[in-house]
Amino acid sequence: MEASLLEQIRFGYGPRGGSPPAPGGVEPERVLAQLEAADPVEVVADRPTLDQRIAMVAEAQQQSKDFKAGRIPALTVLPRLKQAGRADLSAWILAPVVAEAGFRERLVNFWANRLTVGLRRLGALPYLAGIYPDDVARPHLAGRFSDMLRASAWHPAMLLYLDQAKSVGPDSRIGRKKESGLNENYARELLELHTMGSGYSQADVTETARLLTGMWLGPEGSTFDPARAEPGRKIILGQSYGEGPEEIDRFLAYIALRPETARSVSRALARSFLADQPSEATVARMAAAYLDSGSDLRPVYAAMLADPAATATELIKIRSPQEFVVASLRAVDWPAEGQGKVRTPGKINQALTVMGQPPFRPRGPDGWPDTAEGWVSAPMLAARIDWAETVAQAVSRATRDRAEPVPIARAALGDLGNPDTIRAAGQAEQRWEGIAVLLGSPDFMRR
Amino acid sequence: MAREMLLSRRGFLVGCSLAASPLLTPVTFAAAPSQNRLVVIVLRGALDGLDLVRPVGDPAYAALRPTLLREGGGIPLDPAGFFELHPAVSGLMPLWQAGELGFVHAVATPYRSRSHFVGQDVLENGSDSDQGALTPGGDGWLNRALVPLGGRPDLAVSVGQEPMLILEGGVEVAHWSPIDDSSLSPQGEALLARLYAEDPLLAASYPGAAGLRHDGGAGAAVRPVDLGAYVAERLRGEARIAAFSYGGWDTHLNQSKVLTKRLGELSETILALKQGLGPDWSTTLVVAITEFGRTARENGSAGTDHGTGGAMIFAGGAAKGGRVLGDWPGLGESALLENRDLMPTRDVRAYAAWALRSQFGLAASDLEGAVFPGLDLGADPGLVL
Repeated sequence: MEASLLEQIRFGYGPRGGSPPAPGGVEPERVLAQLEAADPVEVVADRPTLDQRIAMVAEAQQQSKDFKAGRIPALTVLPRLKQAGRADLSAWILAPVVAEAGFRERLVNFWANRLTVGLRRLGALPYLAGIYPDDVARPHLAGRFSDMLRASAWHPAMLLYLDQAKSVGPDSRIGRKKESGLNENYARELLELHTMGSGYSQADVTETARLLTGMWLGPEGSTFDPARAEPGRKIILGQSYGEGPEEIDRFLAYIALRPETARSVSRALARSFLADQPSEATVARMAAAYLDSGSDLRPVYAAMLADPAATATELIKIRSPQEFVVASLRAVDWPAEGQGKVRTPGKINQALTVMGQPPFRPRGPDGWPDTAEGWVSAPMLAARIDWAETVAQAVSRATRDRAEPVPIARAALGDLGNPDTIRAAGQAEQRWEGIAVLLGSPDFMRR
Repeated sequence: MAREMLLSRRGFLVGCSLAASPLLTPVTFAAAPSQNRLVVIVLRGALDGLDLVRPVGDPAYAALRPTLLREGGGIPLDPAGFFELHPAVSGLMPLWQAGELGFVHAVATPYRSRSHFVGQDVLENGSDSDQGALTPGGDGWLNRALVPLGGRPDLAVSVGQEPMLILEGGVEVAHWSPIDDSSLSPQGEALLARLYAEDPLLAASYPGAAGLRHDGGAGAAVRPVDLGAYVAERLRGEARIAAFSYGGWDTHLNQSKVLTKRLGELSETILALKQGLGPDWSTTLVVAITEFGRTARENGSAGTDHGTGGAMIFAGGAAKGGRVLGDWPGLGESALLENRDLMPTRDVRAYAAWALRSQFGLAASDLEGAVFPGLDLGADPGLVL
């Protein structure tokens, strides 16, 4: 079942060019079927796994010592780690460019952003952050939020990004010996950004931080280290917890199912897919589905897709820079075979940075903005139009100036948006300019 | 997953929990192994080596080039006065005097026809074919040279709007473009302006965006001197090998004027490289190569036509310059190839191979095998100190 143009634009990364726009509105079952789609393996899987990266980091550190001591002539592992970082960037763009299931790819990015980790020059984090969406969002986006939350909490990238691996119980074995103590960073963001958003006190944050001590990053990855764990009972939101990883998981499962979390997650989804300010009725319906199903996400998506705002023909959301860049490459049907020609990682990186979205470097743990005000400014818009020119020229070179702007514009917009846009694409002096006008147009910034 | 790891490894981890975990300490970034650098400039269009390095001491030369020599002004390169340098390159004379600039004369690829496109492909592919056939992989010799160097992906960069064949192939190579010189015509801008004027949310940002795009110098071509500075910047980072190309050498008409401009720009580019590289200039070798030379005789329009034997430029703090290398074949009628072109006396690939060997220690077997199939490496010409 081919997704309708509206489904592809609002719930995906836009249509791939080269075929006429598919008619129809939004049929929830048709969109939900994309949850089962296979990941674009050629892009996603061809990178070192988390365990491989952890082993490589250890090896790179050994090599660094050996190299400084003159025992080895060259560093061989660090370049491979850096290569993995480049492959992560490339996968961030190319996976949704080639994917059939745009909804699934949008959700990968939604969840990775909801439970953000970013690149900080902190331990192994620069080499682990890029695999986090594959480990946390992809396996769980069609399952339960509680499972995704647990995967996120224990992921080495998260343990590093929000300093949980640095938090030590003051009365733990290590805490009593060393000048170290609680770090509340993760505990606070877990409650504020990842789950409830409201309805808890500072005492709950501190108690959560006490409970989470022991979550650590050992030489082989995430682990629970009893020597760092704060002993004794912790009372959080009126519930009592002991110590140990099972208690941490029990707490994570509990907050995942809180009604505050249901509303907060539902509002974030609706804000991302439907409207900068979604209606309270929409959020309430989604939250009810969330609680009824024990945080199973499929019924939540179903409620979102059945919402009147899902089928409105006016496109009111502004694409993020990543969504815009991906949509532009899809619109010109960037040849899967010719991906070798997008050998400008520096360029895509730079372009996204000036558009306001430096890859893997969100401004804070609250992730990238999900509303227009975060993405609309004169410099960011200038960067988008520059990108439109770059893509239009690239496709013109690749096709020897055979790419026709009007059919591309029709496939990209159909009868959604301003009819003048398609007309303007046909009025440009050269074919590539017509394509640039389409990709740089206000309609193309929207979904 | 994190959970399974946790349960199965707890016993081990408790034992070493006081030890520093490598995942909690930063990975140190040691310097790249080699400090030596190589820049390859491809001069597209066929540089006239006989006008760049003028063999005024050859008795046949003056008669072959009556118009081109009319302006004179050549700069003597050696006390005997055999070679003079084109005056447009005078800015490089300090480098020559410091031994940081040299030339190779009478070189060519194995290709013996005179098509630009085939000639450039052969020059960049490194093939042994006199017919212009490429090696089976159809890739670039500089890319193949990266394999014995470990294939580190950030080792080499190509710079410019288009990827270059010389660096294409199995080893991943970064491709940088200094600035994006694509830009819409005024009419294209007007179409966009109209669409944005109708958009309630974005209309306010558009005039500012349009202004920024124009102030950013969109539409200006990349100047060669900017290219040199840009390449230097990459080489001060992790890259050790860079390639870029520079066109406009096909001087069939009014060669004096065209070549003066091009050579002046090339000089500035080399000086920009030197300035940009700073202390790293001392370990850098720059070679500029071209697809073939031009006819020994000037043509009827004060220019020259496609020829065979040409010149290579080498420069850099690592260069052993102040010399014109190569066996001079002479310009007498019987010495010319097909009674028209300077006779090549050595394969330009041998110089490229020696540049790689001197800078990066590539093995002769690699150079004569995978990198330049069928090459006879021959004696070391001593491009490098």
